[in-house]
Amino acid sequence: MPKKGMMVVVQKGKITMTITIGLVCFVLVYIMFIQFRVIEKTDIAEIEDLREAELTEKLADWKTKCEELEKQIKEKEEKIDEYKKSAETNEEASELLEKELKQSRMLLGVTKVTGDGIIITLEDNEEHEITATLLIELINELKLAGADAISINGERVVNVTDIVEITSGDIIMNSGKNINSPFEIKVIGDQTYLDSALNVKNSGFADKYSKIGYKIKIEKVKDLEIPKYNGKMELKYIK
Amino acid sequence: MKKIQSAITLGLMCVLLSFAIVWQINTINAASEIVGVERTENKLKDQVLEWKDKYDALYASLEKTDKELEKAREEITKDDSSAKAMEEELKKNNILLGLTEVSGSGIIVSLNDNQSISTDMLGGYDSISRYLIHDEDLRIVVNELKNAGAEAISINNQRIVNSTTITCDGNVVLINGEKVGAPFEIKAIGFPELMTGALMRPGGYIDILNNDGIETNVESKDSITIPKYSGILDAKTIKSSK
Repeated sequence: MPKKGMMVVVQKGKITMTITIGLVCFVLVYIMFIQFRVIEKTDIAEIEDLREAELTEKLADWKTKCEELEKQIKEKEEKIDEYKKSAETNEEASELLEKELKQSRMLLGVTKVTGDGIIITLEDNEEHEITATLLIELINELKLAGADAISINGERVVNVTDIVEITSGDIIMNSGKNINSPFEIKVIGDQTYLDSALNVKNSGFADKYSKIGYKIKIEKVKDLEIPKYNGKMELKYIK
Repeated sequence: MKKIQSAITLGLMCVLLSFAIVWQINTINAASEIVGVERTENKLKDQVLEWKDKYDALYASLEKTDKELEKAREEITKDDSSAKAMEEELKKNNILLGLTEVSGSGIIVSLNDNQSISTDMLGGYDSISRYLIHDEDLRIVVNELKNAGAEAISINNQRIVNSTTITCDGNVVLINGEKVGAPFEIKAIGFPELMTGALMRPGGYIDILNNDGIETNVESKDSITIPKYSGILDAKTIKSSK
């Protein structure tokens, strides 16, 4: 009989143990669930952080834009005042007008301009031919670096400028002017800024293309002169 | 033996349990952090909206000032023929510079990334890159349009002016320093047939884009409107010379 009693005790112990382990497992699984949620939420927190940075950037953007607009409005209001003041004396009025006209002609590229800048020389070689697309890429990069005036082989780059390849190695720009290798690109702008932009490792035009075999020379020049645009600028379709 | 085994099992469970509890405490911390982030974020969002409203108001007042300035010029030149000529040239220059909203006949070119391709469909040497529209594609289309005599061009309402740059910035394109993304809508004022012909000719750029599955559409319009450039045209490093 005592044997049977022992059996009961042992069995009771086993049941308690099983229940305990079962409960512990249950709790453990529950906590694991919570743990999963931690990980998820941590991910979210990272994204929210990013968003905050983005929003801060956007805010700064809008502030700069507003400042720019305020500046423009102020400048124009001053001009209006000047015009109104000079209403009595016609001479002054045309002087004001002439000043505005001069500035707009210069921005348009229809006047010869001078300033400090750089001269870039690009030349075809056996391996590489300079294409129209490459010249367009260069102009884009120069404008990004703040170029105020650009010419290629004496042809001024203006807003209506096009550069196309008729056949390989035969490039025309400004609706029909032939330009051929070697290309001499004159640029007026901040010399240091232009030079360093072109030489940015792996992405700057000069660094990127000279690495693969293009011949590119950059020279800083004082008092550079860039000719005016000689073509027509018509408004036939704009009403 | 059995006792030792169960003791070890229970011991291990306890260790795991404490570990999990520590994690749980971290959850609570993280959760309160998120609430904090959300609060600053909402505040920032409000501020961004406020400044955007301010920008819109300033823009409207700039347009008013522009009109007033034009009127002031007209007023002063109405009795003076030489001044009148100057005023008219200035008006034309401002149109050419992109400083005014313009309208006229033209075309609308729509470009969108290849929508039927996904990374898992690509072969070993293929890259998703060729199925997307890049800054270079846009520069080439703009150049083709200028070659075909376009008088005004905009991409996603960014006016193309002399100082415009089209560059790549990760997954988006920057035009005039502003982020724009696909689908692209390129508007051009000019002779519609000539511009359409230049883009759509066999072997032309639309053909090249279509070969990579870029979605393209070119539509002629009797009248389209192109917005003005909203930035400042400046040229501090040049001087006019005789």
